[in-house]
Amino acid sequence: MNATAHTLTPEEIMAFLDGELPALDAQAVAAHLESCAACSRVAGQFRQASQELKSWAAAGPAFSWDAFVLRAAGATSGGGIRGANAKMLARNWTWKQWALASGGTVAVLLLVWSASVPNLLRSRRVADGSLHWLRSEQAAGSKSFDETEGYIRVEQPTAGLKLNTRIEPGAAADSNEIPHGAGSAGDQVEDSDQIASAAPMIARTVSLSIVVKDFPGSRASLDAILARHRGYSAQLSLSTPENAPRSLQASLRIPSAELSAAVAELRTLGRVENESQAGEEVTQQHADLVARLQNSRETEQRLRGILQERTGKITDVLQVENEISRVRGDIERMEADQKELEHRVDFASVELQLSEEYKAQLNSPAPSVSTRLHNAAVAGLRSAWEMVFGIVLFLAEYGLTLLIWAAILALPAFFVWRRFKGKLASL
Amino acid sequence: MNESPNAPNKRDPADPPSDEQLMVAFSQGSTEAFGELFARYKQPLFGFYCRRVADPAHAEELTQETFLAVLRAARRYEPRALFRTYLYAIGFKILRAHRRKAAFRLTFLGVAGSREPAVQIANEAEVVLRQAVGKLERMDRQILMLREFEELSYSEIGELLGLPVNTVRSRLFRARMGLRDLLAAPAPKSPAAELTGSEERI
Repeated sequence: MNATAHTLTPEEIMAFLDGELPALDAQAVAAHLESCAACSRVAGQFRQASQELKSWAAAGPAFSWDAFVLRAAGATSGGGIRGANAKMLARNWTWKQWALASGGTVAVLLLVWSASVPNLLRSRRVADGSLHWLRSEQAAGSKSFDETEGYIRVEQPTAGLKLNTRIEPGAAADSNEIPHGAGSAGDQVEDSDQIASAAPMIARTVSLSIVVKDFPGSRASLDAILARHRGYSAQLSLSTPENAPRSLQASLRIPSAELSAAVAELRTLGRVENESQAGEEVTQQHADLVARLQNSRETEQRLRGILQERTGKITDVLQVENEISRVRGDIERMEADQKELEHRVDFASVELQLSEEYKAQLNSPAPSVSTRLHNAAVAGLRSAWEMVFGIVLFLAEYGLTLLIWAAILALPAFFVWRRFKGKLASL
Repeated sequence: MNESPNAPNKRDPADPPSDEQLMVAFSQGSTEAFGELFARYKQPLFGFYCRRVADPAHAEELTQETFLAVLRAARRYEPRALFRTYLYAIGFKILRAHRRKAAFRLTFLGVAGSREPAVQIANEAEVVLRQAVGKLERMDRQILMLREFEELSYSEIGELLGLPVNTVRSRLFRARMGLRDLLAAPAPKSPAAELTGSEERI
């Protein structure tokens, strides 16, 4: 810097006074200020302005929180930042915040309590009820249970079980033998009272879920069991997905007398995951059906007698014939119901599910990298397209409504925003 | 004007530990180090807030909040910049949050908060000075105050406000010239009555 040429700018003088010039430049400026009255005057003005500003001193703070901050520092270094924050926050709270926090905590606890207590009570009632029912069933020799899941499965809780008390000693109440129903003897029974006093008719159902290791072998064993016990498969579906366990679902019909033995053999196929048994008592239903059937047959006989012995108008004859055909229809329907009912009693229903214990195959062919990349790219493209299309659909459906709302709210929002910015600038 | 600003990089080994060393020591568990930092900066930080908010009680709260923020962030502290730049950066963030909250309350709740005079007005000259500073352009005012009161260097101010050093220098010069002109102008008749509004804007 050339002092004699007076090339210093006021900004450079200011930077010199602030100590922001490099050492060499600072020396040159200092030398110039000693020799130049005008620049010295400028420097004096800067110094004076700074001195005036220094008069704006802030009063000393009360620092009532001095010890608090230092305590917090101690807590931070000792008990960890998180703990210190909690302590600091807690100490900083006013009584209103304490009251709000306590009230909120109590409210949340009450909410949780009120939500959980009814469920607990309900669970206890259900458990008590189940236990009671189980005891009564055990006393009655019931077989309705679920061994693996530990709860009682009730499908027809009233069926067949009460009648066990009326079964003759040694009939089937205390053993696994299925009480065989009246079967074809139904039509020989004179009235329902007599039927009710006979052996009960019970339609048995069993549900079995078994995990097997050798799936093809189990399938063959199943066929053998069915043949051995003279049963058959009412429905069977087989699922053999790739790289996944195979499964078989079958609805079997097994003679009631053979049920226990058949189920015992089915259990040996693999690990029983789930088993439940139930019995529906249909004695009364069967007796009613037989009685109604007998009445209808008698009615039919009487009508036929009328038609043969009496003479009359042709319209009367036609009316009798119509009545005979209606009664005949009823008889046939009831006979079908009776057969179906007796079949349900004679043949127990076994719902069987066989699942393979799957072991992943090392040699299973995995898709190639290029195929997977291609599939991923296609899926990604489809997903992106779906998203874009979804946005377009959303806009098509709600766009106009949103625009209207935006137009309605824009002006107030603008004024509020302007007011907020104004307030912010004034602070 | 501060003709010999702090030069932390040229510290003699015999000097007391620097702010950065103290902060690192505190982040490693030394409570005494924080005590020293607190003693060094509690008054400057309180002054920083006092000159920017109306109520000294608010200034105290914000000072406390700033130190608590430093405590909370101590484990993450890395001495990449000067501690005081770090401290005032936190101070500016807390100040902005405070102003946003105040503006929100004022806009939506109509709660003005405490608008009592910030400090006891010492004399007429101080009032004139506050008014003059309040009339400067916002960024110029911040630069001037950081230089004059917080005694930050140009580079520190630039780092804090995100400005190049040359811009800081030219704006500081402009602020000083503007302040000189304002102080040279005749004083208003009733400066005390206008003080509340003007000091709110500082």
